[in-house]
Order: sequence, then C-alpha cells, then structure tokens
Amino acid sequence: MSTHSIIGKSIPLTDTPGKVTGLGIYANDIAVPGMLFGKILHSPHAHARIVRIDTSKAEAMPEVKAVATGRDTARPYGVLPIGHDENALAFDRARYIGDNIAAVAATSEEAAERAIELIEVEYEVLTAWTDPLVSMNAEKDWIHENRPHNIEKEYKHEFGNLEEGFAQAAFVREERYVAAEINHAAMEPHSTLAVWEPDGRITVHSSTQVPHYLHRTIADVLELPMSQVRVIKPMVGGGFGGKSEVIPLEVITPVLAKKARRPVKITYTREEVFYAHRGRPITIVDLKMGLTREGKISAVAARVIQDGGAFGGYGPVTVLYSGALLGALYDVRNLRFEGRRVLTNKPACGAMRGHGTVNVRFAFESLLDMLARDAQLDPAEVRRRNLLQAPCITVNGLRVTSYGLPECIEKAVERSGWREKNGKLPYGRGIGIACSHYVSGAANPIIRSNMPHTTVNMKIDRDAAVTVFTGASDIGQGSDTIQVQITAEVLGVRPERIKLVAADTELTPVDLGSYSSRVTFMAGNACLEAAKNMREQIFAAVAKKFGCAPEALEARHEEIFVKNDPAQRMPFDEAVVRAIDFHGTLVARGSYAPPEEARGGKFKGAGVGPSPSYSYGAQTAEVSVDPETGEVTIHRVVAAHDCGKALNPVSVDGQVIGSVYMGLGQAMQEQMEWNEGRLMNPSFLDYKIPTTLETPPIESIIVESEDPEGPFGAKEAGEGSLAAAIPAVANAIYDAVGVRITTLPLSREKILAAIREKRKREQAAGGSKKTGGAA
Amino acid sequence: MSLPALHVVRPKTVDEAVRVLAQHGPQAMILAGGTDLLPNLQMRLYAPQVLVALKEISGLRGARAAKDGALRIGALTTLSELLAEPVVRQKYAVLAKAAATVAGPLQRNMATLGGNLCLETRCRWYNQSHFWRQSLGGCLKKDGTVCHVAPGGKRCWAVWSGDTAPALLALDAEIEIAGPAGERRIPLESLYRNDGMNRIALQAGEILTAVLLPAAKAGWRGVYNKLRLRNSIDYPLAGVAVAMDVDGGGVCRDVRVAISAVNPAPLLVHQAGETLIGKKYSRELIERVAHAAIQRGKPLTTSGSTPVYRREMLELYTRRGLEEVWGGRTHSADRND
Amino acid sequence: MHRELIHLTVNGERYEVAVPPQKLLLDVLREDLGLTGAKRGCDDSSCGACTVLVDGLPVLACAAIASCHQEAQITTVEGLAAGGELTPVQVAYGEAGGSQCGFCTPGFMMTIHALLAQNPNPSDAEIREALSSNLCRCTGYMQIYEAIRLAMKRAQQPAEARS
Ligand SMILES: Cc1cc2nc3c(=O)[nH]c(=O)nc-3n(C[C@H](O)[C@H](O)[C@H](O)COP(=O)(O)OP(=O)(O)OC[C@H]3O[C@@H](n4cnc5c(N)ncnc54)[C@H](O)[C@@H]3O)c2cc1C
Ligand code: FES
Ligand code: FES
Repeated sequence: MSTHSIIGKSIPLTDTPGKVTGLGIYANDIAVPGMLFGKILHSPHAHARIVRIDTSKAEAMPEVKAVATGRDTARPYGVLPIGHDENALAFDRARYIGDNIAAVAATSEEAAERAIELIEVEYEVLTAWTDPLVSMNAEKDWIHENRPHNIEKEYKHEFGNLEEGFAQAAFVREERYVAAEINHAAMEPHSTLAVWEPDGRITVHSSTQVPHYLHRTIADVLELPMSQVRVIKPMVGGGFGGKSEVIPLEVITPVLAKKARRPVKITYTREEVFYAHRGRPITIVDLKMGLTREGKISAVAARVIQDGGAFGGYGPVTVLYSGALLGALYDVRNLRFEGRRVLTNKPACGAMRGHGTVNVRFAFESLLDMLARDAQLDPAEVRRRNLLQAPCITVNGLRVTSYGLPECIEKAVERSGWREKNGKLPYGRGIGIACSHYVSGAANPIIRSNMPHTTVNMKIDRDAAVTVFTGASDIGQGSDTIQVQITAEVLGVRPERIKLVAADTELTPVDLGSYSSRVTFMAGNACLEAAKNMREQIFAAVAKKFGCAPEALEARHEEIFVKNDPAQRMPFDEAVVRAIDFHGTLVARGSYAPPEEARGGKFKGAGVGPSPSYSYGAQTAEVSVDPETGEVTIHRVVAAHDCGKALNPVSVDGQVIGSVYMGLGQAMQEQMEWNEGRLMNPSFLDYKIPTTLETPPIESIIVESEDPEGPFGAKEAGEGSLAAAIPAVANAIYDAVGVRITTLPLSREKILAAIREKRKREQAAGGSKKTGGAA
Repeated sequence: MSLPALHVVRPKTVDEAVRVLAQHGPQAMILAGGTDLLPNLQMRLYAPQVLVALKEISGLRGARAAKDGALRIGALTTLSELLAEPVVRQKYAVLAKAAATVAGPLQRNMATLGGNLCLETRCRWYNQSHFWRQSLGGCLKKDGTVCHVAPGGKRCWAVWSGDTAPALLALDAEIEIAGPAGERRIPLESLYRNDGMNRIALQAGEILTAVLLPAAKAGWRGVYNKLRLRNSIDYPLAGVAVAMDVDGGGVCRDVRVAISAVNPAPLLVHQAGETLIGKKYSRELIERVAHAAIQRGKPLTTSGSTPVYRREMLELYTRRGLEEVWGGRTHSADRND
Repeated sequence: MHRELIHLTVNGERYEVAVPPQKLLLDVLREDLGLTGAKRGCDDSSCGACTVLVDGLPVLACAAIASCHQEAQITTVEGLAAGGELTPVQVAYGEAGGSQCGFCTPGFMMTIHALLAQNPNPSDAEIREALSSNLCRCTGYMQIYEAIRLAMKRAQQPAEARS
C-alpha cells in the first residue's frame, strides 16, 4: 500500500489553467515592441548549386530591415558532434525542395513575403537523389562531399551465434517490410522570437524541446559566447521529436535579429513544418527470424535501411536504435543487425516518438505473429515464452532492471477478451496482439561528458514558497507537474506552494532536453535529490527544536512532526523560518547522471540503446475489415504499459493513449507522399492525422514494476506504447481476413488487393476455411 | 498566411451585389462562407481586387416552399442550417446525407449551399502554396502551361470535389441566378461545364441565389456514398448519389444517379433511368448501372488514393447505393461500437 | 497598406481597430486585439485550432474576414471564464487530462462549450461527431471525452451536492 500523499495521485497538469483559458503563452503568442517579421526563401530544386544570390532588390525595400543568406550562417551545426553538416541557410548548395536559401526581416509579414519574392537566385541543377536504394549507389553529385555514395552511416552488430540459432529453429521466415515516412505533426507550428538586447546579448524564445542544444548552437553560429545568449522555452504545442534538434528558423531568426539589431519573429507555415521535418524515415527492414518448435525465438537477423533525407541530424542514432532495441524486449540470444542510413534530397528525418524502434517493431511483431501461426501457437503465448529473466543484461549489453512485460501481456489478454476472440471471430473481424518497449532516457549523452544530464535547484525563502529551478522542458507531456509532485511529496507540502521556473537558460540549470523519454526519470531523480537535500536542512532545524534526531522526523500535510510522537509537530512555514535562521535562504541542489553499469557495451555504436531503465507494453487491437473495400474499422485497442510507477496516473494514461493514437495514425493513414523529391501533401488536409471519427476507444492499463532506480520507481510512459499499436492492427487484419500487409500504411488499396490475390490463390488451390464472401 | 491586399464590399441587396460584380468584372469575386475561397486566396490561387461578401444580404438564407411546390433554399443557407431543416431530412434524404459529409462540423457552420455548388475544382498540383506551385513552374490551371496530371494535353482535369451537387443532380434540382440581365432559372445540370479550368457557366456579375428542389422528388429514397480516408474534414475521392422513387410493389418508378470527385464536373449517370425504370429489384440491372457509372467517371491522379481504387469504389458505391434504396441493404460500416 | 476602421464585439467588449479590409479574423484577434488564445495550426482551414464562436456558433477564424463580422457577437476562449472563474468544462479538462500540450485546447473549448450549450446531454457519438473538425495530436481524444462527461455529470448534480 502506497504511503505517498501526492505521488501516485492524479492531479491536473499545473499549467492547465493557462491552456483552458487561452492565457498560456506559446512562442508565436509573444509580441514585443519594434518586432520584425521574418520570412524564408526556400529552394525550388531538390539538388542544386547556388551560383548567385542577389538580394539587392529586397534590401532596397524600405520595410526590409535585414536580409540574410548562407554567408551569414556559414558555421555548420548538427545535433551530433560527429555530424555538423547543416547550415541554417544553404551555404552553396540546396539539398531539398524547401531548403532554406535566404531570409528577410521586415516591418510586416506581408512586406517580408513581398521581399523574398524579390530575391534572385541562380541555380545550377544537380542530379537529385530521391530514392534511397538508388541514392546509395550514386557515383556523382553526392549530397555531402564527405559522404561517399550518399551513405551517412553504416553499422553491423552480431551477438551470439546466428548459424546455430537458425539451425535450432523449426520455423524460419524472412520478409521485407517497408514503412512510409511520417511527420510528427505537432499542432503548434515552430516559432522563434529572437530579441537583440541593447547590451549585445540575445534572448531567444523558441518552441523547442532542447533549449540547451539550441543555446550552444546559436552561440556557435552567431559566434557569441554562450554567456551572451539566453534561450527561453515558452509553452510548447507538442514536439514528439520535431523540436528535439535545432531547426533552421531557430538559427535564422537570431541571425536576422543580430543584423537588424531588432527583435525578429519567424513562425513556420504548416507547409514549412513539413520541410523542417525530422520525422520518421522511410524504412526498409529485411527481417529473418527463427522459432523453435517450443516457440522460442532462436535467432534474429535484421537489415535496416533508412532514408534519412538531406542531413545527418539524429540519423546515426535513429538507425542504431533500430538495432539496439531488437534486444531488450524478448530474450533473444542470437542477434545480427546491419543498419544503413542513406542520404537523399529530401527534408531531413530525425527523432520521432519511439525513435528508430517503431518500424522495426512493426516488422518484428508481424513476423513473430506469422511464426507463431507456423508453430500453431497462440500469438500471446509465443510472446510469453520469450520473456527475459530480469534483472539481466541482454546480449547486446542493455541492462534491464525492471520488467513488467509479463503482467502487461496478462492484463491486455484479459481485458481484451483475447482468449475468447483470438482466431475465433467470424470472417471480416479479427484481433491482434503485439508488444513494445522503450528507453527511459539515453544512458550516454549526445555530447560525451561525465557531467550530470540534468540538475535541479531549489530555493525557499521567507515567504515559505518553494521555487524549483529546472532545465527540463515541458512540451505538454507534463514534466513540470511531475517535478512539482515529487517536490511536494518529499517536503510534505501542498503543490500550490511550489513554483516552478523551467527551461530558461539564464535561470535554470542545464538539462539535456525532452527526448528519448528521459525527463521523468532523470529530471525526476534530480528533483528528488534536491528535495531531499532541502528537507534535510529543514529537518536539522526542527530536530534541534524538538531535541530529536533529524531521522526521527517526517514531513506531511504541511507539517513536520516526530514520527513516533506526532504530538510534537510544527507547521511547515515555521519550520522554514527556523531553518532560514540557521542557513539563510534555503537552497538545495540535485542532479542525475546514469550509473556506469547502465552505459552499455564497448563496440562501435554501443552508446545508443543503453538506458537506465526500459518501459514495456503489450497491446491488442480488434478490427473489422470490409472485404469489398479493404476498409478497416478499429473497434478497440487495449494497451497495457509498464511505467514503473505512475506518479500521476491520469497523465500516464494520457501518454499511453496518445502514443497509441499516433501509432494508429501511422498504421492506417499517415504518409508523406513524394514525387521526385516534392512533397505532395504538405498540409493538414492532405497529411491525414486521425480525427475523432477514426480514433477507436483506446483503453490504457497501467502496470507498475517499480524500477529500483527510477524516482519512486517510475520510468517512461510517453513513447513505449506507440510501436506496438501498428503490428497489433496488422496482426488483427490478418486474423480478420487472412492477409499480411507488410508495408505501411495499411491502406485499403493494399488490403483489398491482398484479399483478391488470396482469393485467386485459394480458388486455384481449391478453397480454404477463412474465406467467405461479403461479411 | 495572410490574404493579398484587396477591397471587401458588403452589399445589402442582390441588386447591389450584381452591380458591384458587373462593374469590376473579372477583378471581383464572390465571397459566401469563405471556406473554399479564403484558403485558396491564402495560397494565392487567385488575385482579385475586390471581394463581394454576400453575407449581409437578407433573404438569401433559409428554406421555404415556392409557388410551384418546390422547396426553395437560399444560396447563403449554411450546410448546418440545411441539415437542421426537418423538411430536408425527411423529404430529400440524399441531400441531407450528402451535406452531412461535407468537410467537418465547423466548416459546415460556415459553408454555404451556394458556395458548395460553385466550389473551385481541385487538384493536388493546384491546391498548393504559391511556393510549391512556383517550384514546378505552375500548371495549366494556374501560372503554367503543363498539366501534371495529363502532360501533353490541353485540358485541365482538376476535379469537382463538392458533395451536395451530385445529390442535387439526383434530385433534378434547379437553380436561380441573378445577374445584370435579370433573373434566370436553369437546371443545376447546366451550371457545370466539365472543364477543370472554367467549372461553372455563370456570366460576369451573376450570382447563384437559390436552389429549388422539385416537389415531385420529395420523399424519394436517397443515399450518398463518399470515399475518403477520414470520416471528417476530407474532400471526396469519389462520391455517388442515388435517389429513387419506388412503388409499393418494389418497382422503380424513377431513379437518378450522379457521381462526384471523378471528373471536372458532377455528372449524372443517365443510363440509370434507362436501365431501371419500370423494373423490379435485380442485382444484374444494378450491376449494369454500376458499370455505366465507371464509364462516366474518369478518376485521374488529381487526388489522393489511386485512380484504379477510386474507379472501383465508384462502381461499388453505385452498387451499394442502389442496393440500399432498392434492395433495402445497408452498408454503413459499424464504426467503433 | 490600406486600412479601414472596423468595429468588433469580442467577449462582450466593443473594439475599434484600423486593419486592412481583408485581414482575417484570426489575425485581428491575435495581432490587433492581443487575444492570442485562438491558434493557427494549419494553412488550409483543416485543424480547428482557431475556433471561435460567432453568435454562439463555432467557426474557423482563419476562414473568416474580420470586417465581415462587425455585427456579430464573437466569443474567444478568453471570454469563457466569466469573472475569472473557470467553467465546469475547463475544470474537468484539467482533472481528466483533456489538455496535454494545450495548443488545440482553445479550439476544443469553443466547440465543446457550443455543443453543450445547444445540447446539454450529447451522446458519445454526438460528442465525437461535434469534435470531428478539431484535431488534437497529443491526447488521442479519450481524455477529452472523459472531461466532457465529467462536466456533464456535474452539471446534472444539484449545486449543493458538489463540494
Ligand atoms: C478543410 C476543408 C474540407 C472541405 N471538405 C469538403 C468536402 O468534403 N466536400 C465539399 O463539398 N466541400 C468541402 N470543402 C469546401 C467548402 O467548405 C464547401 O464546399 C463549402 O460549401 C463552400 O461554401 P462557402 O460558402 O464556404 O464558399 P466560398 O468559399 O465562399 O465560395 C466558394 C466559391 O464559390 C463562389 N460562390 C460562392 N457563393 C456563390 C454564389 N452564391 N454565387 C456564385 N458564386 C458563388 C465563390 O466565388 C468561390 O469561388 C472543404 C473545405 C475545407 C476548408
Ligand atoms: S488554423 Fe487550422 S483551421 Fe484555422
Ligand atoms: S493537447 Fe496537444 S494538440 Fe491537443
């Protein structure tokens, strides 16, 4: 039984009032006196040398206060230290349709729009590489000269003994899976306001998940000391990875502001968001798997090709994740992974919710489903037979400290009525199951160092308000609230007493950012340490007064009292005053760095995948398929997720449901459609994120495995459930109509064609059980 | 995403509107609910100097019985208002069903019936931003010389993407038009030119003021089947409206079938009447009409999905529509029970 | 650029502003009146983030010209919490997790308040239909429904029963 007063309770996100009243401020809601409006000129060519840019006509417009070109952003950057291959404005070469060529700042948006029309650019068109399979064999016009044949990165990992593994298998299958490219489609388009201060400093308000990386990059590109640059993250309208590296407008805006010596704001159109992209790449997975007669996975070999777009970005990490996280879900002893990231003349891909793992998981869980049927085993049972024995270290060096997968499978099976339904529903209706997992933060930082990944400071002064200074970026996932809850729990006070100052590089300590589901775990632990440290100081003062040991005290319900003599009590306010008498204003600090043991193996590429802890999930989807149209209706999804400990259950449910929702969008309908490097659907009309009407009831079940190192046992909740949604639906479609769709999205066109193909085959062979005409 | 500089005129009467429109000629455009025009203007698909907003003209909203018993619906009636009219729901099922599929509920609160009938044709090479189109050198319909759907051709295939027009064709609706030369009343069918570039046969200065639903069609059974990826927001990828008058013995007294989103105009499938009138329910006859529908519909790469799939669904939806009004079979998917 | 003086009634207050005659209602609200609650989420009137009420009806402010709405009563999200007190839906939204990033929330607020004003007891299907022009990328909608049901339930309880 939990003895917590606020941990484990559902409380509203602390910033809800601002959200429901419209008073909360997002980047594009900020306007400051003298503010200019920036616009960017984009490349009409997928690949071209920039021969000449003439900005004189734009500069001659009286409304125009600054014009920038590649020369003003000549210092390249990139999120990984090994890949500084990107200029905010193209330096000499345009690498995709929509690439940034020049920018202007003018007194009105309309004038800025007119001004970019006046910029003349002469291009020399180069061969555009838009198909990854062609691009990786290119002999000329490489997208980056230092990336021969347009290959960004290649990795090969092998663990155990593949030959032996496959030899043990009674069933072996090999299939190619292809996933279309998708975009985060956060509702808030990116927006940046850069304010040039009269003292030569610059303050940047930006819709970012990573204020710290932005801070570094702006300082670097503008050639200013970091101490002259301040980055503030206002409220952010969703990220999902799309704001987890520096996006061109975040550099262009400060550059314009510096040139104009005035505040400049740029807000992307929805179309520009698609060009900034950083979404989930087209992924080709050749997967081979062996299953023993007993249903044990005996070997897995995966070859993964990702179409990375024009820049490296997070690419090497994305491809490594796709291999590393083959490891920590099931007990796989023989594992081979070959991964390749290819450059193409399209907007750069990057991190997106479930980073790197989602498309491979679709392949894995689909193929495992097929093998289960080969072995005539219940697909849920096959998953049970391949569980890890946690705690353990996987063949590829991932340390698993807590493992709620067995319970997730059990709960999802129970709630969904799996046993009554699996294989027993009439033709046209089916149920599928799949599992997934994800990291709770990366054990190794992007920029190698032994510094903490996050630090939290705390202050209490005479008003007895607790101020928490955290670098962690709340982008809607609720990390501010979690830190308030942790602080309130430890200090035994109401959450209302706590003020959180977050994500302002001038006021808050460094946190690496909101990506790879690291915040609850890492900032949570840092916050926990800070709060405990703070409590110690208060207890010391109170203990003195009561003449007891500090350890004898407890803080709860706004009071400090002696545990076994509760009559001895003191209100929190009074305790604080006493402690201040002692120490002066109370300050405390906590920080977090993952333990050495969590940091993984030593091979090349071993740095990606290790995490202090992993989340687990199992999901079922029940669908019906109209065999005449191929149309799929999802009736219900049940998602059980092991988040270690639900610090705020409503919020965990929201994260799980939201992940499933996004997975279903990718499964059924989302797709960036390309035509010779041109995005055919850069809009919300044509990029089909699901409305209320396609979204089925999604039920979340929380499983708590209490991680030994997570704050109060917590681990990640915001990404892990996404990946399972896709294969759960694919497997359900198979159960419904007996066809396997191996490419995403699982569109009606493909399903219908597959149903027909199957009928034809069966007619040729003389019929089978699960055919039937119209349902 | 702002609008280009222009003047907005807000006439109070139809006469005044006609006068302003006639005066500015092609420089002026009509603004009704704005849900088609304003996004298009933000994409710089047109460059008018004047918008003539019809909103403040009284008398163009609502439904009432006309002298000849027809139901007269003002062009400025919003689709939400139309859907709230009991008489439309009860007597003109196909229209109610089609109107309910237009965009989503918020768009329908703004979208007018007149605007829906005068909707701009759509194409994925055309409904794009200024930058996007420019990067390709434009297309036949706007700023260019090449049709990217049928290169080499001189015809624009931008597709008719409205949902109420096929329903109204199936009801044999007429429209009233006010113009510099006075009023005229024409069958809705003759409004459409089946030309992606120049979709409707309105003369300069003319305004569509009302739609008339003939009394004879009241009470017909009707269905509208629409292909789209999402059940809200999305334009049709194919649409089939079916309206039928069936006697007590199940004999088809009269029938009209119209298709949408597969040609530059909404089109009647004339063979429906020839094939079915006077006949009792027959699967085979239905097949014949479905087949006629795909002879008539010419889906191209103007839209999402694939032409092949859209063509197949056109056939299937025609069949399903007729089955439903004639054979009593429904095919509404049991979404998310 | 040519400007015109227009009058708007927003949240019961009358405003007079000089704006280009073609300026969109969304931009006038955000830029000229400082009411930044309504958001811009898309380029083609397909996301619902900009929803406001015009004479009580939810519409898209990005597909409306301000100067054509001078006779109307316009309500934005800022106008919902009269006198600073949150509405039952606003309260329930926090409790049930209706908002994550919150960017879609102002739009949803307007659609939901209009729905409940017109139909205090909508069925689940009616709720889904009514919200189907408003996109939310974070929540998967379930907790939004939950919030609406919670607010409905409270509205049906007598005031004393609440505490
Ligand atoms: C996201 C989104 C999705 C949509 N989905 C659909 C859909 O699924 N199905 C569908 O049918 N439509 C759809 N639409 C388009 C649109 O909402 C409707 O067609 C609507 O009915 C158009 O009416 P309106 O009053 O808004 O037209 P407006 O935009 O005001 O006008 C449309 C065109 O008609 C002309 N016009 C308007 N009224 C008259 C008149 N009385 N006389 C002469 N010319 C006139 C205008 O000059 C303009 O060219 C969608 C729009 C959006 C934004
Ligand atoms: S901003 Fe997307 S609908 Fe208005
Ligand atoms: S809460 Fe983020 S888009 Fe809805």
